[in-house]
Amino acid sequence: MLAHPEVGVAADRPLLVADDIHRHFEGLHAVDGVSIEVPPGQITGLIGPNGAGKSTFLAVVAGTLPVTAGTIVFDGVDITPAPAYRRARRGLVRTFQLPSEFARLTVLENLLVAAPDNRGDSLVGALLGKRYWIEDERRYIKDARALLERFGMSAKESDYAGNMSGGQKRLIEIMRALMLKPRLLLLDEPMSGVHPKIVLEIQRYLQELRAEGLTILMVEHELHMVERLCDSVIVMAQGKVIGSGTMSSLRKQREIVDAYLVG
Amino acid sequence: MNSYYAANLLVYAGVDIIALLALNLQFGVSGIVNFSFIVFQAVGAYTAAVLSMPPDTTFGYEFQVYFGGYHLPFPIPWIGGAIAGGFLAIPVGLVVLRKLRSDYQAIALLVLSIITNEVITNARPFLNGAAGLALVPQPLSDVIDPNTETYQYFYVAITAVCVVLVFVVANRIVNSPYGRSLRAMREREIAAIAIGKNPVQLKMTVFIVGGVIAGLSGAILVGFIQLWAPSVWLYPETIILFAAIIVGGRGNNVGAILGALLVPVGFEEVTRFIPSSFGPPGLIPALQWVAIGLLIIGFLWFRPEGVRPEPRHVFEGAPVREDLEDARAS
Repeated sequence: MLAHPEVGVAADRPLLVADDIHRHFEGLHAVDGVSIEVPPGQITGLIGPNGAGKSTFLAVVAGTLPVTAGTIVFDGVDITPAPAYRRARRGLVRTFQLPSEFARLTVLENLLVAAPDNRGDSLVGALLGKRYWIEDERRYIKDARALLERFGMSAKESDYAGNMSGGQKRLIEIMRALMLKPRLLLLDEPMSGVHPKIVLEIQRYLQELRAEGLTILMVEHELHMVERLCDSVIVMAQGKVIGSGTMSSLRKQREIVDAYLVG
Repeated sequence: MNSYYAANLLVYAGVDIIALLALNLQFGVSGIVNFSFIVFQAVGAYTAAVLSMPPDTTFGYEFQVYFGGYHLPFPIPWIGGAIAGGFLAIPVGLVVLRKLRSDYQAIALLVLSIITNEVITNARPFLNGAAGLALVPQPLSDVIDPNTETYQYFYVAITAVCVVLVFVVANRIVNSPYGRSLRAMREREIAAIAIGKNPVQLKMTVFIVGGVIAGLSGAILVGFIQLWAPSVWLYPETIILFAAIIVGGRGNNVGAILGALLVPVGFEEVTRFIPSSFGPPGLIPALQWVAIGLLIIGFLWFRPEGVRPEPRHVFEGAPVREDLEDARAS
């Protein structure tokens, strides 16, 4: 390690640094000065009572909502002014709390559409005709089918995504995000409204992805799930961070338990 | 059926098909409710007219006032009409498509259509106001005598070439990964952004492409009927085109062609045969509007996907399933 100090520095550098983030809605301070760091290769949990500002914070990080004040640095680059789609292209990919599949696209198309840099995914590329882009398309079909296989949804590839169950839609959304080869996955309550059987599946997939080195920041309500999945946890209440650490250490902190019970 | 009538029908069908392929790209595929579509056709027609007409001081043309009058040979007026349609889409798109929610986009575009028509109607020196432009020269009329049957079929042929060209363009867009991105944006814009799509860029592009095609359709039409006035591009014309898309099948290019043949062409042709002595004056045109309205409501209620629904994209090597056989065949 000493022989390559710069490697050590790069590996230890947080992938995401959010500094003093504020998000106000007409006087309501939904996010009120939140500063967090997300270390690479880990699953970081973001918990807190309803209305704590977790989802708003996640939306601000993803660029879905603009910041009122504060800076967001992703992999050493200040991305605060970047629009959401550009952050996604950089590898900062979010999912949504409510199902957000493309209903009238098939399951396979839902994945393919997320493929970055397909030569046919521009007006000129499209006009040049199939021969121009078919190679890219084939490659991405292969990638997408590998994901479908892994997530046990191969049989559904030609079904409309809108006809899938809540849990399957959640899986589609995670697979779709993975097509972008994200470096940081932002999950907004990935288990909400999902059948308990699929919850266990999702949990297993997330653990696998972590083992492969993917960094995840997830908002989640279910504390047992957070305890099992997350390396570290950040607790929010009323728009502020009130604590962070491992779940077991947090359980011992009186004010955090109170915030949950009272909030 | 004489040849003039047949040519007339075919050119109108071609123009409607071209227009509907454009509207299908915008509305059917991308979800842009372009209620000012007819304005883009009109700007193409006016542009083609002033490019092909001689100056308004020319003998025989003094009864009208208009700017331009460049007397340019075919195909420059048609190309100019198409470019004008595309150019108009830039400022309109930048104002309407960037910030407004889609329902407000529709309202803004509808209002734009009404205002534009009012302005052109009342600002006479610009494009001869309410009376409109007449005696627009027909393409290549100095080469082929326009009063012959040959010319009629020649016009049908050049219209057909444009139809094929536009159909190929529309198909390439719809069936490409780019078309898939447009459909994803239509389905759920916020999720499309989350996977790296820039919705403003996508919408602007498709708005401009649609504008170009709409402008071309106007240029073809004006070269054939030789006149263009505000009364032929009132905003309800757009509603007829929307009815055609809904009947034909949103998102399906073949559906757009079918819609063109069923609604603007078929409908007009069928109702022509109702004797005009039937009922009080103005009853038939009024009933036509009622029928268009009922057609839209009826289809949205009973068959919202239209006669030819958007095809399901099944990829080579997909697991074989019996319930999808029909989809693969289509």
